[in-house]
Amino acid sequence: MATTTVALSKPQRGGRWSPWLFALPALIVYVGFLVYPALSSLWFSLTDWDGLSATYNFVGLDNYLKMPSDPVVVTAVKNNLIWTVVTIAVPTVIGLLLAIALNGKVHGKPILRLIFYTPAVLPLVSIASIWGWLYNPQYGAINSFLRLIGLDGLATAWLGQDSTALWAVMVPAIWLRTGFPMLLYLAALQSIPNELYEAATVDGASKWQQFWNVTMPSLRPAHYIVLALSLIDSFKVFDMIYAMTYGGPGTSTQVMGTWMYFNVFQYYQAGYGTAIAVVITLVAIAVGIPYVRSQTKEAS
Amino acid sequence: MSNFTRRGFLGLTSAAALGAGLSACTGGGTSTGGGATQAASNNLRLFTYEGEALLALLKEQVKKFDAQNGTTTTVDSLPGSGAAVYPDKLRTELLGGKGPDVWRIWGGQIGSPFAKAKQALDLSPYYSKYGWDSKINTTAIGGMTFDGVKSGVPFVSLGIGAWYNKSLFAKAGVSAPPKTYAELEALNDKLVAVGVTPCGLGGKYGWDIMRLFEYLLEHTAGPELHDKLLTGAESWDRPEVVEAFTLFKKWQDKKWVPEGALGLDPADIEPGYVQGKVAYTITGPWTEAAAILAAKKSPSGFGTFELPTDKSPARHSGFVEGYMINAKSGNADKAAALIDFLVQPATQKALQISASTVKGAEPDPKALPLSAEWAQKYGGNPFYTIQDQAFPKKQADQYFSVQSDLLQGSVKPDGAAKKMQEIVSAWAKS
Repeated sequence: MATTTVALSKPQRGGRWSPWLFALPALIVYVGFLVYPALSSLWFSLTDWDGLSATYNFVGLDNYLKMPSDPVVVTAVKNNLIWTVVTIAVPTVIGLLLAIALNGKVHGKPILRLIFYTPAVLPLVSIASIWGWLYNPQYGAINSFLRLIGLDGLATAWLGQDSTALWAVMVPAIWLRTGFPMLLYLAALQSIPNELYEAATVDGASKWQQFWNVTMPSLRPAHYIVLALSLIDSFKVFDMIYAMTYGGPGTSTQVMGTWMYFNVFQYYQAGYGTAIAVVITLVAIAVGIPYVRSQTKEAS
Repeated sequence: MSNFTRRGFLGLTSAAALGAGLSACTGGGTSTGGGATQAASNNLRLFTYEGEALLALLKEQVKKFDAQNGTTTTVDSLPGSGAAVYPDKLRTELLGGKGPDVWRIWGGQIGSPFAKAKQALDLSPYYSKYGWDSKINTTAIGGMTFDGVKSGVPFVSLGIGAWYNKSLFAKAGVSAPPKTYAELEALNDKLVAVGVTPCGLGGKYGWDIMRLFEYLLEHTAGPELHDKLLTGAESWDRPEVVEAFTLFKKWQDKKWVPEGALGLDPADIEPGYVQGKVAYTITGPWTEAAAILAAKKSPSGFGTFELPTDKSPARHSGFVEGYMINAKSGNADKAAALIDFLVQPATQKALQISASTVKGAEPDPKALPLSAEWAQKYGGNPFYTIQDQAFPKKQADQYFSVQSDLLQGSVKPDGAAKKMQEIVSAWAKS
């Protein structure tokens, strides 16, 4: 087998610094817009700054220590966990099923792909408004439909009661988040060599056995990407909750992201709010590290 | 014994250095920097939250001021967000050192943080210079005075009352607005009997449906006690408050407010009285332009009344809005001149202010007949501070939470009164 050898020239004078010079513009942006604000937030989380005054006091870990006794933080963490499990599991499963269906011989495949992916590119505020109207207890399409088919008893104030509000917000979240795993799975499915299925067929494997023993193992990298990104995305949820319920009724749909916002921007408790932001970031990093490591391994 | 790796050691020493650095900062008084006073110039910037139509009027008037004073004033607006987002944007601008010279803001606990953080200038010298004390409603000035410092110039003093659809009242066989609380309840029953939801209010954000509760509290507690409750001078754990919460629940249970009101957006439900979906709502004179005229309906099909409290003096809920000057503005004198221009009666009329605090700028009955009628009938009545401005935002949200729990049945009226006392006393002590 022929090999090609590339002759590398000796580094030019001053070439030692060249990589740094090339990286410098990006590094300045990265440090200025990411590292510096992150370190500032970390610092403010150790103070009692109100977010408006010119002065503040250092309070050590007080902001972190008071979190467990804040009943809204307890509610928010619980809501985050429910949100994370549901909005990862359901869109992932539906996305996988849609991808499998669209990978087969289906008429109008491009149109169907477009339809399923469109919610993912719609502005979140529009989605929140549309679903807010659908959920309107008196005139909304959901309750009107339930009444039309005789299920009056199920018609309820979906966003107006603690017991249903969070679940009601999850429905549009699932609707808009299904397109992303579907696309990833579809791309992964198309990259599975057909020979594997032919060999499995020759060996007498049923369709179900082919799915479990050929398709699913081949989708492992895709599973990893979908799960890691969805997990990070789920834990920092903010927009849907803010736009649809504003954390209410009461504080029943508060999540860590919205509670951070309320404290920093509405309650003039920037120190406490940034402490919540730091906790969210640490959790997101903890979740993201295995993903980044796996990507780095693959790259090397 | 623990073994340290090189990386672990470096991590530990870095943490120790960080810790030492942080401990060195103890003792308080650390400064954010905040930015220096801006340079003087002829350029002014005004930040406000007017919608498109009224913003055009404001820009027109500001242009007149610029022509007279040789200034160039930029007007920026963040309409539609209400008090939920606008103060955040303003605060971010101020902290970034590029804050506006003049900004519009609500009074009470919404404007208060800007004054207390000394981001807003003490306007006492300008009150003397321009004689605002004698030109502007004294009660309204009180709404822009914080810790004894006049930090704002109020130009709008808005009263909250009932705005109703005459044809829906007629459908229920009612020809005149109620004069007593009992008549109001009877009206609600008649409306429900003909299939009309009486009062259109929404609970998303909390502040809209709160207008009903604060009215009920004024009805059960009366003016003196109500005011004391708002400052924490009297305990909320008392029969008058329990009765108000009981009535609040009654309004929901008897379907006098829309089904699922807690989850409704005020922007969707409030204009319902114009669309014929509800008989009335509890709102202020801005609704005439924003809901009735915007829907191209004739004001003659609608009416207003002060919610009957059965107490003396008769009061309604109200709040003020005004202008503040940036404490770091290099153009404070010109900014004050701009405010003085904006609060002239002629300018106020040109701006179509429906509830001006300025003497001689009463609403034009031809342009805004209902607002003029409201001002004439009830404008002189005293008002109590609307409750989302009476409390800081955090306490107001806790208050809305109690109301939400009560309407969902997870807390009883006496429990709600106790909970409110805990919230208010914790705030009063802080």
